[in-house]
This record gives sequence, structure tokens and C-alpha cells, in this order.
Amino acid sequence: MPKITIDGNELEVAEGRTILQALDDAGLLMNGIDIPHYCWHPKLPVDGSCRLCQVEVEGIPKLQIACDTPVRDGMVVHTQNERVKQAREGVMELLLVNHPLDCPICDQAGECKLQDYTYDYGVQASRSKEPRRALKKNVDLGPTIVFDQERCILCRRCVRFCREIPKTGELAIFNRGDHSVIETFPGTPLDNPYSMNVADICPVGALTTKDFRFKIRVWFLEDVPGICTGCSNGCNIHLGVANNKVYRYVPRRNDAVNDTWICDAGRMSYRRIGAPDRLRECAVRDESGRLEPVGLDRAIEVAASRLRRLVDSKGPGVIAGLASAHATNEDLFTFRRFLAALGSETHGVAVVRGEADDLLIKEEKAPNAVGARELGFGDARTVVDRIGSGGVDAVIALGNDALQEGLLGSEEPLANLDTVIVLDTHASELQRVAHVIVPVRHAAEKLGTFVNAARRVQRVVPAVESVWETYSDGEVIAKLGAALGLEGFDGSYDARQVARDLAAANPAFAGIDLDSVGDAGRPLADSAASKAER
Amino acid sequence: MVISDETRSKIDEAISKYPVKRGALLPAVHLVQADHGHVSKECAVELAEIFEILPIQVMEVVTFYNMFFDSPQAKHHVYVCTNLPCSLRGSRSLLSQLESHLGVTAPGETADGRIFLGHEECLGACGYAPMMRVDDEYHEDLDVEKAKRILDSLGK
Amino acid sequence: MLESPYVTQYLTEHFAEADYPTLKGYERFGGYAAARKALTEMTPDEVIEVVKTAGLQGRGGAGFPAGMKWSFMPKEDDRPKYLVCNADESEPGSFKDRILLERGAHQMLEGILIAAWATGACATFIYIRGEYAFPAAQVERAVAEAYAKGYLGDNVMGTGFRHDVRVTRGAGAYICGEETGLLESLEGKKGQPRKKPPFPAQYGAFGMPTTVNNVETFSHVPHIIAKGANWFRSFGTEKSPGTTIFGVSGHVVRPGLYELPLGTPLSEIVFEHAGGVPGGRKVKGVIPGGMSMPILPAGQLDVPMANEFLREQKTMLGTGGVMVMDETTCMVRAASVISYFFRDESCGQCTQCREGTGWMNKIIERIERGAGEEADIEVLGDVAGKMEAKTICAFADAAAWPIQGLLRHFRDDFVEHVRQRKCPFPGSFEL
Repeated sequence: MPKITIDGNELEVAEGRTILQALDDAGLLMNGIDIPHYCWHPKLPVDGSCRLCQVEVEGIPKLQIACDTPVRDGMVVHTQNERVKQAREGVMELLLVNHPLDCPICDQAGECKLQDYTYDYGVQASRSKEPRRALKKNVDLGPTIVFDQERCILCRRCVRFCREIPKTGELAIFNRGDHSVIETFPGTPLDNPYSMNVADICPVGALTTKDFRFKIRVWFLEDVPGICTGCSNGCNIHLGVANNKVYRYVPRRNDAVNDTWICDAGRMSYRRIGAPDRLRECAVRDESGRLEPVGLDRAIEVAASRLRRLVDSKGPGVIAGLASAHATNEDLFTFRRFLAALGSETHGVAVVRGEADDLLIKEEKAPNAVGARELGFGDARTVVDRIGSGGVDAVIALGNDALQEGLLGSEEPLANLDTVIVLDTHASELQRVAHVIVPVRHAAEKLGTFVNAARRVQRVVPAVESVWETYSDGEVIAKLGAALGLEGFDGSYDARQVARDLAAANPAFAGIDLDSVGDAGRPLADSAASKAER
Repeated sequence: MVISDETRSKIDEAISKYPVKRGALLPAVHLVQADHGHVSKECAVELAEIFEILPIQVMEVVTFYNMFFDSPQAKHHVYVCTNLPCSLRGSRSLLSQLESHLGVTAPGETADGRIFLGHEECLGACGYAPMMRVDDEYHEDLDVEKAKRILDSLGK
Repeated sequence: MLESPYVTQYLTEHFAEADYPTLKGYERFGGYAAARKALTEMTPDEVIEVVKTAGLQGRGGAGFPAGMKWSFMPKEDDRPKYLVCNADESEPGSFKDRILLERGAHQMLEGILIAAWATGACATFIYIRGEYAFPAAQVERAVAEAYAKGYLGDNVMGTGFRHDVRVTRGAGAYICGEETGLLESLEGKKGQPRKKPPFPAQYGAFGMPTTVNNVETFSHVPHIIAKGANWFRSFGTEKSPGTTIFGVSGHVVRPGLYELPLGTPLSEIVFEHAGGVPGGRKVKGVIPGGMSMPILPAGQLDVPMANEFLREQKTMLGTGGVMVMDETTCMVRAASVISYFFRDESCGQCTQCREGTGWMNKIIERIERGAGEEADIEVLGDVAGKMEAKTICAFADAAAWPIQGLLRHFRDDFVEHVRQRKCPFPGSFEL
């Protein structure tokens, strides 16, 4: 492996990498070694046009752009000397010649690379007295993005993104020289499943999402690492949180999962957290058939007594469990343990399916389908079939994904059951037939892990506190187990402890706990279930 | 189809001369403009189909080059070179007199759409300044009267 | 069709002959004998060696040795190899290639054939600027004649060597004269120069090994092959052999083309050949090699027109476009025209070039209007400095150099504009 020296530090790097890539690989770029850059992006083809990342390479008379200079063994690079600093200042000053400097009303302020780099490398005052380019403001580029041509620094990241990632190519630079502008073809808006990523990669306030713009100044946001729950890809995200509210999801880089991207549907799924149809309180159905709000203890009491009566009269075989692929491994491990202690053998996981692509979007529209299967939940079909054949008197449903066409189709098949217990985040038709309802937490509100489609265990942590009285699925199940007097249930639930129990009980999870899994996740070991699945 | 069969066959012939299809894009745009005067959105879509690229890739090429247009043009294009060698020999005053003669401000076109008058950067006629390009033809060693006569002779 | 140059040597010797542009006329004066000689009597390496020994420098502006460039073409490479003839002449002040295309298309084609043999190229793309409709037609006609005669095609001159020539017209973009901008344009894209490396010899037209030479460069080749390297070296200087066609424009009695040996003193070109400034006025400055090259003040005109001498005066031969400005000329106006041109023609990729050309132009126009301050002159020089040697191609340098040259030699013109708050040269050319 070639060794290079950067600012006096020796670094061993992989063959065939550029200086910027080598620093990025080593986690040093802008994190120890600062080489500011605009057009370069780790996941896009090299452009080499912004010229900001110039560095001095000993033995080469001209400054070289670090984004396009391959490392060579013995290369000595200077990134902070006077010559380099002057070149950077030069680029920064030139970029500001036509920039509107409208930071007070710009939504990018606070996460703008033009601001940051000007602060770090810019000149004290702009020497330009010339009128700035007057270009189009508030250009509606498509359903998701608004464009300000004046703020654009023509780094072409968005152009390259559309060509290389979704391969839709909606954007291009028209004209030339200082008349260059980003444009779409008439009648062909920027509209693809990944369009909003252009706002993330735009280093300035030229491209902003309609959804987030003017909602809140970014410096009020705390970035909490989490996982998108839109599908089983488990894209890593930052939840932008302020005042106990999630304002946005933005992709969090994880080269093993989603690089630096996220699909628009996943990004917008943050709205589910505070959606008006969130379940807000426990309820039980009274004798008149009306749902009556109750406390959790009462809900557990009613659920336990109904189940106890059935076990006593017909045995546990008439009780079925419908697991949710939205629940964490810790929830599901608890549920699985509960069903086993109860003696119920009818269970499965319902997963909504939909469109997939070969980039990020997966067919299974839930974050933990693989985890559920790994924990022994088979296809919910078996549960539905057994309900159809009259072999089931009670259902404990986590979530409502079983309502989909092809499984229950509607709440109707459950209408005549003796007992329907529903633990869910959002309202659904299940409420019409439920006897007990307990509101549970969204992934943004709890601690736990999911296993994504590539068998990677990834962690969610509470980014916000639930506004309503909600509980983890596992916590509810644990209380129910205790109320039923099941062996191994004392009513307590601690996700950390459950994760350790899971690691001890299931070899695929061996060695993984809620700390060791980290923000980047860890691969799940192969197991019998995974081999069977393949 | 906005591109005629005849032009289409010329484009196909041009394509056959290049190792890569797209090599014939500039020739094809020249051909389309010869018919239509500019590259309309519809033309761009058809060219994109022929060259198996996106319409926006046609338009980024069209907007890059001075001789390609994305909007309807006057019948004749008249460009007076105003680069340094020509300016040194009076091309700017020639241009302003032609502006008055035609009643237009360059760059701009006559009300009847007959002539577009503009200035252009060096046309490779520096030794024969002042000069103007009328469509595909060069007129060099001009004086104002000569230039006016040339403009007046241009048909509708 | 352009008149034959005022002074001719071997390149333009027969340009006055009406039939010289035709194949028959060209052969009447011994045309294609050099190509026949190369293809039948010489190995490719021998051809390259002769051209190297002759010391032929590229005539497109950079002056890179042609023989050496040819030798960069990979030998052990199965890919098709190409030549590109750069006929995108658009350097203000330069109009020599136009006559070589109009009157000497076969001479250029013969040079292309010889270069093709030397480099193993199977095809040549002649990229002619879009505005050169007539020169392009002349070249197209010559190419058709050469095909008909068996000088191009599958079996060139019966030797079994295969070579095709394609003529492509540009569409109005100065940057396509930059060789990789040209290659992009040839491939049907925006003419935005490529990052280098890879150089065209490895990754050129359509991704294949490619050598790009200027029209005039090719046109010298048949003469070198026919008469030998030593003969060629009898023209010009030790380091810059051969003739070139100087295009003289601006304030002279006889503007036009002059084929003269490299090393001819600039003063001889301006005063003897072009007749000096009309009306008994004095020269103020001369741009010696096309607009990208820094200006020389009247006191430095004795310089021989060859790079080894011009470099000492901080300028270069470029494309040999000699622009003469007399004492009435306002150099701020000149700077304004120059900076407008580069602003208009920047491809817009690199920050320094895109923003710097525009900024320089705005500052200069403001100074010319009388609205400048002395600090602006400093800023102008500083912006030019920020653009130098920092971009993908040399366009930004080409935009910065002439402004730096004007500031170096005619700073007073700028200062006077600022002090008088108006243009102090009422007799200057109009803006």
C-alpha cells in the first residue's frame, strides 16, 4: 500500500485512490485534515471544476486538485501552507462575486458550505463592487425542490446526481461562462424517487426542499442518529429534532447501507411520527360495544382476563399472534417468548410489500421483516388461514399490516373472534373489531434494533418523547405476560436487557447488544433461518 | 415528426461517419437548424430519440454554442465582428450605423423578422476589417454604404 | 476566397494559382509526392524522426514539437487511433488557417496522410469552426477528390494503408480550439475541456489514442518530407525552424497575411511588410501572437518572432496574429474588448475562469466609464493573478495574460481614467 505524507503525517492508503478519497477512507477529511471542497462528493464522479481543493504536491510546480490527484507512494502533500491558503481564498472570493449574500433569508444558513468556508478560508471583505448576476429566484423544479439560480455556485453535484444515481438526468447546465445556469428541460421537472437528495448535496442554499424550507433554522435542530422505517433497506438517517418534534429526516452516511442517500418516500415518512392518526390512549370495548378510554393497567387487566378465560376454556391453541415488522427485535423477542410461554403456536409476521428498485428501495415496506423471521415468525398467511378455518378465537396483533389485500383484506375476518388485542402506533380498521387497544411507540421514540434486508443489525434511539401515553410493544407484552402469570415474565421490560437475552438465546445475534451495535450497525451472523430463507 | 424524412436520412448518413453515434450530434443540429431556423423543444425530443440521449442533453449542447438557437430566429443573421482587430478599424461605428439603418438595437431583429443584427467575436477576418457575416457568407473590407447595400439586398 | 498572402514562401508559394485548391492543380506543383514517398519508402518511425529533426513546432499556439507529439501515440495498442486536425481557428488576430483551408486544403490533407502513416491513425477528424462555411466547403471538396483518386479510403495510393477523413463543423465556441474542448465537441457534447491526464494520446477522440495538430502544422509536413529536415531548418531560428503565416491586423497600412521565417523581427513585420501605421502616427503597442498573448509596447518591437525571444519579453508567439495599435488607442478600451471576449467565451466549468473573466470585464468597463478608483486597478491585477495556472485548461491563463500585459506596460492609461474620471483618449477607437 502506498504511503503518503500529508502535512507531516504519514498515512498508508489504498492503491488507486485520489488524495481526497484517501483522506475520506481514513476518516480524516474535514476531521483533522481540512481540504475544503464543493464539487467533489464521495459518491459522485469527480468533476474537478470548483478548484477549491487545491493542494501543493512536492515535485509538481502547479497546485493540484486533491479530488483528482491519485496518490503515489512517497507523495508529500501540503494542505495548509500559505500558497494553498491563498489559492483557496482566491476561489472563495471569486465564488462570492456573484453570490447574493442573502444569508438572513436563506434557508441553508447554518449548514451552508459557502458560509462555513468563507468563515474558515475567505477574505475579510469582498472587494467586488460590481452588480451581481440577476437570475431566477424561487424556481419550481418539480414536486419536491425549489431552486434559487442566484445562489448556485455551479458545482454540478445535482446534475451528476441525477445522471448517476437515479439515472433520470433531469438537470443540466445551460449556456456557458458566467451565463451558466442549472435548468430542466421544458415539461420535464425534477421528479424521481430520490429527488430530494439534491438539496442535501447542494453545498449552498440553491436547492432546498419544499417540505423543510422555512420550517426552522437548522441551528435549533439536534441531529439524532436513527434508521428510516419506510422499507427493509434501513437507510441510516439523522432525525432533525427541536422542541421534542422531528422536523426532517436527512440521510446519514453509511457506505454499507445507503451511501449518502435516502429515497423521498422514506425521507417524508418522518411525518408519520406526529401524524394526526397516531393512537393516543388505551381503550377497551365495553358491554355496549363502544370503545372506552382506559389506563394501561386496565387495558392489560381486560386483555389478560379475556385471554385467561380462553386458555381455560379452549386451551392456548386458539390464541394467535400477528407480529409486526415495524417492531424492534427486542419487542419481537419478547412477543415470541410470550407466545411460547402461553403455549400458542399460531403466529406469523405480516409485511406490506410494494415497489422496489435496484438502488435503495426494497420490496418489504417495514424495517424489520428480516429480524421478525430471524426470531421465528413465519408468514402471517398461516395465521390468516387458521382464522379462516375457525381454529382461532383470539388474536394479538402488533400493528395493522395484516389488513393488507391477500392476508386479512379487511377487519372483517376478525369481526366474530372472541378477543382481538391490538398494539399499534396508528389508527386502522382494526379498531373497529378490537377489544383492547394499546398505543405503542414509533421507532423515533424508542430504543431497539432492526435487521435490514442485507442482514445488518441497526439501532434506533429515542429522538423524541412520545407526546401521548405510549409504550414499547415489548413493554406491553411483558406486562400482559406478568398479568397472565406466565413463566419468565415479571412485568418489567428493559430493551438493553432484552437485547442481551436475545444475544444469548439466538446465535445469529451473538455478541450484539445495544451499545456494541453502534450508530453504524453490525452484520447479523448467518443462522438456520437465514439459510432457509435463501 | 418535426424532422423531415429527408433531413432524417441526412442525419443517418452523418451518424454512419462517426465511430460513436453521438459524434453526429453537432452536424445533426446544423441540419435541423437549416430547416427550422432553431431547435425547438419538439426537435430536441426527436434528436434525443435519434441519438439515444435525453432531450436536456440536446438542449445543453444547443445553449452552449453561439450558432445554435433554442428560439425562433429572424430570416437572416447579420453579425458585425467587434473584436479588437475589427474595433481598431471602425467596426463599432459600422455596427451603430447599421443599427440606425435597420432601426434596431443590436442584438435584435427588425420588426418584420427579416434581419437579426448582432455583434460577434472574432471571425478570422482580422486583416480585412471591418467585416460582417451574413448567414454563411463573409463580407470583408466593408464601408458603411457597401454594408447597407448588402443588407438591403437580403430577401424576406 | 482570400487573396494570396503578400509575402509567400513554401507554404503559400502557389496560393495565387487559381487551380491550386483542386487536386489536379495541387499535383501540378508536385502535390502528394511527399505522401507517396512516406507511405512507400519510409517507415512510420523514420517519418517521425525526420519531423523531430526538422524541429517542427505546433502552429496552433502552444508550440509543442510535432514529432514528439506523434511519438506519444501508443504503438502496442489494438484500439483504433485517430488524428484530429484543429481547424477551429478563433484566436482574435489570427486568420492564417483560413487561407490554408481555402487555398491549400490538399496540402493540409497530404500532411494529414503523412502524419497518419507515422502514427498509425486510421482516421482523421477535421474540426472546422462553424463560421468557416466556405473554407469547410473547400475542404469537403478536396476530401472528396482525394477519395475519388484513391488517396483516401481503404487502400491509400495502392499501398494497402487505410485512412478516412471526416469533416466536422463546430458551432461557435472559442473554447473548442482547446484540444480537449475540441474532442468533447467532436463527440457531440458541450466543448468543455477535459481534465488531463489522461492526455489525448491515451484517451482522445471517442476514447481512442489521438493526436491533435493545427491546420498549419499539418501543412508544413509535406515540405519537410519532400525536402528534408535540413532544408526546413534553413528557415527560421535554431530553436524555431520554418516559416509561419503572420496575420497582421489593426492600425497598419497593409493588414493581411505574410508568410515569413520564424524569428523575423516584429518591427520588420509591422513597418516593412505591413507598411507601418497609416497617417504618420506612432505605434503604441503590438499584440504579437493573437489576443491571448501579452502586449509589447512600442519600445520592444525589435524582438524576433520566435518563442525563445518572445518569452524574454513575457509574451509568446501564439498563433502569430500581430495586432497593431497606434498612439490614439485607449488601452483600457482594448482591455475592455479583450476581457469581454474571454468572459463571453469561457466554458464556465472552473470557478476562477467563470467568475474571474466576468469580474475583470466588469472592473475594466467601470474604469473605462470613469467610475473606477485606483484600488480597482490593484484588484484587477490580483484577479488576473488568481486565475493563472489553477484551472482545467489554459483558457483562464489566456484570459489573464493580456490583461496582465496591459497593466504591465500601460498602467498609466488605467490610472488616468481613474484620475480624470473619463477616458482620456478621445481619438481612440469607439466602444
